[in-house]
Amino acid sequence: MKANKLAVLFVLTAGALVFMLPLWIMLVMSFKTPNELATTAAWAPPGAWRLDNYREVLSNPNAPFVRFFINTLFISTVATTGVVLTSALVAYPFARLRFPGRDRLFILLISTMLLPGIVTLIPTYVLFAKIQWVNTFYPLIVPAFFGGGAFNIFLMRQSFMSIPRELDEAAILDGASNAMIFWRVLLPLSGPAIATVGILCFIYTWRDFMGPLLFLNNPDMQTLEVGLRTYQSLQSEQWHLLMAGSVLTLIPLFTVFLIGQRYFVKAMVMSGLK
Amino acid sequence: MKRNLMSRLTLLLIAFVLSAITSAKVTIRLSVWDGDVALRVIRDIVKEFEKEHPDIRVLLEPNSDYAAYHQKLLTMYAASVAPDVVMMDPLYFQALAKRKALLPLNEFASGPDGVDLETYYEPLRTAMSLNGELYVLPRDIATMGLVYYNKRLFKEAGIPEPDGSWTWDFKVRPELREKDFLWVMQQLTKKDRSGKTVQWGYSSDWPELFARSLYYSYGGNFADNDERPTKVIPEQDKLIKTYGFAGQLMNKERWIPTSSELTGQLMSTTQMLFVNQKIAMFQSGIWQVPNMRKYLIPDKEGFFEWDITLFPAYKDGTRKYPSGGSGYGIISHTKHPREAWLLTKFLSGPVGMKAMAEAGIAQPAIRDLAIQPGLWVPGPNTPKVQLYPYNRIVTDTAVPFAKFEPSADFWPELWSRVASKAELVFTNQASAKEALPVGITEAQNRLNDILSERDRPQFNWTLGLLVGVGIFGALLAYLYWPTKDARKLTAREKKEARSAYFFLAPWIFGMIVLTVGPIILSLLMSFMNWDIIQPAQVRGLENYTEAFTRDPIFWKSLRVTFIYTIVSVPLGLIFALLLALLLNQRVAGVPLFRACYYIPSVASLVASSLIWRRVFQAEGGLLNSFMYSRVGELLGLKQLAESLSTNGEPLNWLGNEATALPAMIIMSIWGVGGAMVILLAGLQSIPGHYYEAAVLDGANNWKKFKNVTIPLLSPTLFFCLITGVIGSFQVFTQSLVMTGGGPNDSTRFYMLHLFSNAFQSLRMGYASALAWILFVIVLIFTALQFRLSKYVYYEAEAK
Repeated sequence: MKANKLAVLFVLTAGALVFMLPLWIMLVMSFKTPNELATTAAWAPPGAWRLDNYREVLSNPNAPFVRFFINTLFISTVATTGVVLTSALVAYPFARLRFPGRDRLFILLISTMLLPGIVTLIPTYVLFAKIQWVNTFYPLIVPAFFGGGAFNIFLMRQSFMSIPRELDEAAILDGASNAMIFWRVLLPLSGPAIATVGILCFIYTWRDFMGPLLFLNNPDMQTLEVGLRTYQSLQSEQWHLLMAGSVLTLIPLFTVFLIGQRYFVKAMVMSGLK
Repeated sequence: MKRNLMSRLTLLLIAFVLSAITSAKVTIRLSVWDGDVALRVIRDIVKEFEKEHPDIRVLLEPNSDYAAYHQKLLTMYAASVAPDVVMMDPLYFQALAKRKALLPLNEFASGPDGVDLETYYEPLRTAMSLNGELYVLPRDIATMGLVYYNKRLFKEAGIPEPDGSWTWDFKVRPELREKDFLWVMQQLTKKDRSGKTVQWGYSSDWPELFARSLYYSYGGNFADNDERPTKVIPEQDKLIKTYGFAGQLMNKERWIPTSSELTGQLMSTTQMLFVNQKIAMFQSGIWQVPNMRKYLIPDKEGFFEWDITLFPAYKDGTRKYPSGGSGYGIISHTKHPREAWLLTKFLSGPVGMKAMAEAGIAQPAIRDLAIQPGLWVPGPNTPKVQLYPYNRIVTDTAVPFAKFEPSADFWPELWSRVASKAELVFTNQASAKEALPVGITEAQNRLNDILSERDRPQFNWTLGLLVGVGIFGALLAYLYWPTKDARKLTAREKKEARSAYFFLAPWIFGMIVLTVGPIILSLLMSFMNWDIIQPAQVRGLENYTEAFTRDPIFWKSLRVTFIYTIVSVPLGLIFALLLALLLNQRVAGVPLFRACYYIPSVASLVASSLIWRRVFQAEGGLLNSFMYSRVGELLGLKQLAESLSTNGEPLNWLGNEATALPAMIIMSIWGVGGAMVILLAGLQSIPGHYYEAAVLDGANNWKKFKNVTIPLLSPTLFFCLITGVIGSFQVFTQSLVMTGGGPNDSTRFYMLHLFSNAFQSLRMGYASALAWILFVIVLIFTALQFRLSKYVYYEAEAK
């Protein structure tokens, strides 16, 4: 058993090193001067771990990093809240309840994932423009409260469906309503799924490029993913700054992931109690 | 409630007061694609403008992603919320001008706040005009006929510095000595004993620039008429000869670095090779000067004397230089045309141009400013750091020879057919004679289609609305049409149904308000000709028949996408499952490991694509370092790479038709983090007592995996499979950023084709048809998978 664990640890470490290679390149590039970037190998460490690039990214008035950061954090947090709240809500009847049209509605739900968003983008934009929502955060956060998209609903439904039905039946015998079953039985047992939806959604929103690009005009309202493109224009590409900015944007994602994945374990303990 | 009302009233009051204060000012929105460096200058210019016009407020909306800039502009235009003043270039303005999305500027120019258009460079004015009307007031001009040269290397070789009076021919002419471009190129090339080039005589910023410069000066044209082409590449033989010749200098003579040698460097590679004295001369536009000055600082280490000169003429004296430029136009639905014009005039006037010129960013489009000493051209007071290149006056000499690409709005689409073949020539994967005519024919076929496109009846919105409501009604009917086993619901069932709809309410509301409308509209548009700007015209089924019968890229991109899906989805799923199983073990540091495998999949696309290029590059790329190493040789990888390489050099993964798609698939492995997290959560949800029971039954690890893990994980696996296939059919950003669909369309994913039709060729109707075809294909795939779902084990099935 001990040897087994060591082997697992070895494989994990080796794999992680390979997987982290792009991140390593990103990290060392973020510390190099433009000249170093041009003359040294991509994965070679910088001559000195200077913070100049970071200082410049944080203080450039053309691309106010802190401003972008706050905007991104706000949008991601609110959108994730909406998605987590409503996707479980919408998934519940698909997984547990009987009602006319259920299977067809489910087909409709899956179908909304199949049509490329590019062709519905302009009508959607016109719609938001008509209600004066362009150049506000609304188009980026309000839709999250309408179920949060087929992907998340589907994911939650799959998770609910793997929870034994005997639990609901026991609750029904105790006189619980559907809402109570959802709230008291299913949700507490779906910790890992909720954490997954939360993590994936937060990170997806954090990295979204098209949404903020189209709906936000005011440079002070921009998000990181769009704002940092300033360092990569047609005439001049400032890779050293771009990389420094990218490293900084990854830190919160890293944190969110580390916190979120703790809920994976918690649920196991609870369902083990059964 | 009361407080809420109060605060709303207060807000209203504030809004009212604010609007009263600001209403005296006119707000003009300005959009540019300039990045960080130029943006600083523009901000200053705008401030200057506001000082001069206190009644006008300018809102600067930068968007430095060139492709996204146009996409956003079109989208905003469709919603009538486009900015007032927009940056434009000769390549793109016609798409807007032709459809009356830009205002003609001649009337403004001759009006009371006018400007003397004669002071602007003539070729640039012509390039930004349509039907004799000027639509873009030029800001700068960039001819790409400039040759940057290293004085030190010329001196060492004993060759007099070039004065631009040289010529070129298809062979070296030693008798002309330094007046022969090829002779100079040859003399400045140094090879080591094995015949490998260690110093190249020359390179252009990107391979096609050189070939194009040869073609132009050899008398070639891209179209018979730049504004209204009817024939693509009228001088086909000249194109084959010059492009083939450029390929020969790269791949056979080795006087010019090949594209795989260029990718051996990190960034805009040619200039760095020049800075590091690996290339004696390189051709580009004046925009490279700030980059040069960044690396070549007088009196600092690594500095050498350098200057610029003109690209040679053909031996008969013909000179033509590929050129670009930019300027500002006014969107036609602006509410303040006068103020928009004032801003345009200011940005593209002496003040704006001076600021840009002083920063060394752009050559003024007004000739008097371009030749004024001390501004653009160095003068007596120019500081030493800004002295280089001293010979900047040639940027003015070059202008009369400027040649712009055909301005027809559909030209980029046509040219992309030829360019994808030219790429094969430069990378030695095909000869010019075989490859180019194929591309030219494809482009000509497409052009014929465009020209035969007739005017069609306009789409009737009332009718459209009726059809839309009809479709919506049909959808509702489908949802509520009683199923076979329909019967009267009992009171309990009714209650259950009611609470189900209550739970579904947010989603149903969102569907009706936000999703259904645009989806139905896109279905309607798939039967239209719709260019986003003008009203749609009815095209019937032709979008669909065109895709199936006349669009060569349709089938090719479908094939690419199929292969990608069939390989990458199962591969990714297996990989994600293995990872999830490993990361589900109780070993030290598991949370950190999980992050290590997940975070790389979410690193910013721009950053990671740059890094991936480093992994796949030919010389010194990570993958090649491994494949060509001892270990790789033992595994047979080296032999594989050598057999795939087309020019006897290390394998250029992304530039090779056979390996570009496999490279994309390898890249996709790094994206399994998402599926891994989902599977991990699924694994964690499997109650521990199942395993305990299995152990009691004497099950070994494999049995536990087979009889407990797989069945209980099957809902999650099923989810990953379904969403994986859907996602993989819609993949395209990687290829957009990394390969642009090349080489020879080998990474042109279906969605990339759809995207370029929608926003580059302005064929939103056709793109919608493509989208609905994809919809049906993926729907079939998904339905098939749901058929298989009987193997999925659900603890609780609500039958």
